Amino acid sequence: MDNLLSDLTILFLLLPPIAGAGLVTVLKKKRTIGIITICAASLILIQVLFVVSKIVSEKTITAFGNAFYVDSLSAVILLSVSVVGFVAALYSKNYMGRQYDNGTVDDKHIVRYYQGFNVFLLTMLVVPIANNLGIMWVTVEATTLVSVLLIMLYFKENAIEAAWKYLIIATVGLSFALIGTVFFYYANINANNSEDAMNWTGMVHNAKHFDPNLVKIAFVFILVGFGTKAGLAPMHTWLPDAHSEAPTPVSAVLSGVLLNCAFYGIIRFHIISSVSIGPEFSNQLLVILAVVSIGIAAASIYFQKDMKRMLAYSSVEHMGLISLGIGFGGLFGIYGAILQIVNHAVAKPLMFFASGSVSQKYEAKAMSKIKGIIRVMPVTGILFLIGGLALVGMPPFNVFLSEFMILSSGFKSGQFIATLLVILFLVVTFAVFLRHLIKMIFGNPLSEMKKGEMGKLAIIPMVILCSIVVIFGIFIPAQLQTLIQNASTIISGGGFA
Amino acid sequence: METMQFDILTISGAILLIATFGIVATRGFMDWLNAYRYQSIVLSGVTAIIGYVTGIWEIYIAAGLTLVIKSIIIPKVLTYVTRKLEIEFKLETNPYVSIRASVIISALLVALSYFLIQQIPFKSDQIVNVYLPVSMAQFFIGLFVLVNRRTVLSQVVGLLIIENGLFLFAMALTHGVSLLIEVGIFVDILVGILISSILLFRISRTFDSLDVGKLENLRDD
Repeated sequence: MDNLLSDLTILFLLLPPIAGAGLVTVLKKKRTIGIITICAASLILIQVLFVVSKIVSEKTITAFGNAFYVDSLSAVILLSVSVVGFVAALYSKNYMGRQYDNGTVDDKHIVRYYQGFNVFLLTMLVVPIANNLGIMWVTVEATTLVSVLLIMLYFKENAIEAAWKYLIIATVGLSFALIGTVFFYYANINANNSEDAMNWTGMVHNAKHFDPNLVKIAFVFILVGFGTKAGLAPMHTWLPDAHSEAPTPVSAVLSGVLLNCAFYGIIRFHIISSVSIGPEFSNQLLVILAVVSIGIAAASIYFQKDMKRMLAYSSVEHMGLISLGIGFGGLFGIYGAILQIVNHAVAKPLMFFASGSVSQKYEAKAMSKIKGIIRVMPVTGILFLIGGLALVGMPPFNVFLSEFMILSSGFKSGQFIATLLVILFLVVTFAVFLRHLIKMIFGNPLSEMKKGEMGKLAIIPMVILCSIVVIFGIFIPAQLQTLIQNASTIISGGGFA
Repeated sequence: METMQFDILTISGAILLIATFGIVATRGFMDWLNAYRYQSIVLSGVTAIIGYVTGIWEIYIAAGLTLVIKSIIIPKVLTYVTRKLEIEFKLETNPYVSIRASVIISALLVALSYFLIQQIPFKSDQIVNVYLPVSMAQFFIGLFVLVNRRTVLSQVVGLLIIENGLFLFAMALTHGVSLLIEVGIFVDILVGILISSILLFRISRTFDSLDVGKLENLRDD
């Protein structure tokens, strides 16, 4: 009976996006397909909340034999996917409607968009709950393919170029991850485990018997592979292109949660490798990549002229911070890293939505052409300001808390050079990002513009995200705290809470 | 009997490498596609041999899938989407490293992969000994083709070589991860190739060229 219940739980989680994609394909009416997608996304959200509440009380769910395995770590990712998926679906209705009205997309492509959106959500829901690491790889690769299709929606030169670079770099990168996965599998069957050898649970149980040299090589491959997809420097080169050229709701999902999904892959293998050879090896690599990422992001934001590209580089920085927190280790650092995953997932989509509305209003993405947002669209302007302040880690907003935890764990673990470097980079980012932001928000518009927002459905998603940003800066709900606490115990304590 | 088996393994590994070099040494898209087709046929033969040696029936299915998807469907799709492209788009006239130097570099990459595989502690096993270096070499040469060539088409071919290398790697090392995952990987490749074909077509129409050097609108400055 209990088995049946958990099977159904997982089934109801995956059903809405499948049904959504199917209905969109059948109905094809511009007005209805947007609403269908919103319904699918809200069903996913409700189901995820149910799953999360179950995880908080029971810690794990196993379904369909051993095929799906949900623990607190998966639940954190699921939560971010479903929340961002929901607000992005809401925002899509307005944004794509406008794109349709001004002729950027036609009937055929708006159907493609909503099909792709649903399938994209489906693939991102499977990544964190697949127990079989091979299946996890297949779905991560599937997220690449679907999102390339979504970026290709526009026929603009830039979109085509971005889609091509993304496809090639991400696919090559993930091929490294596949090699790493096969190495881990080989290490597992060599350690005489032939049952569920490809399953994460099977690997963690048996990880102590792995050949240490194999594990080291395998983890390097994994880090390069999933690191490419997660946008860690120096493999991040596709990221600013893809994130800035995609339709805004897709940018939000790409930046806000797809990066998290890819990073989730790294975390899973980090746990296996830590159990096998101790955490020092993978921690050190994660810290190095983190410092490089944060540094490159700081330099790129400094020279940035394009609004969406600046946000994309800020994602590189945030992924670096997550990697840093995991790499510094200790319960404090890991807790901070997971909190950062959550905070990034709410703050970044907020900024992308706001910048999407702004660039639709100003018909520009270059920051030099955007002035006086607060006069032209006051509500969006304020939300944009709050989101921006949160992104750079200004107290009292949410990102400050996680960044503070990560950095203080750096001092605690004695990695002074890395921590000081990161603080330096963060200060640079802080100053430059704020300067760009203030120049855009205040001042007078370059030309006379009609005052007005972009419509209710564009504002509501931003208000939802903004209130989470503000609330999480002050206090985090007890259930979420337990969830993050358990997830950090999974990472630091060898796979189980 | 033992040595004969070993001979078959070695010869098939050698043919795989020769087919890979066929791609490195030629300039025309149709030549690459033919080389890829031969490589895939040999690869499916190799897979069947691994199936025979290990006695796992699932591997035969993987071999069949390789034969159908990689040596028939993918070349057909690529021939179909490129049939309208002008001939100059299909020729690699100006790679970053000349063809002659590429062949030498590829040979060095083969040596490198034999060297690397010796450093890693694998259980000694004939299949691993013979095919693992070959698969690594395919992977490296694929990467090299990908970064060295300038036309978009040869980047697709580079991806295909990398993927063949990966497939052989997984097969040789673990005798097939599991059928479900392999089918998943096959579907991913097939969809990936379809998407890249659509993109290819759009790039040729929008940019009026298939030179990746032209794809440089997106920059930070």
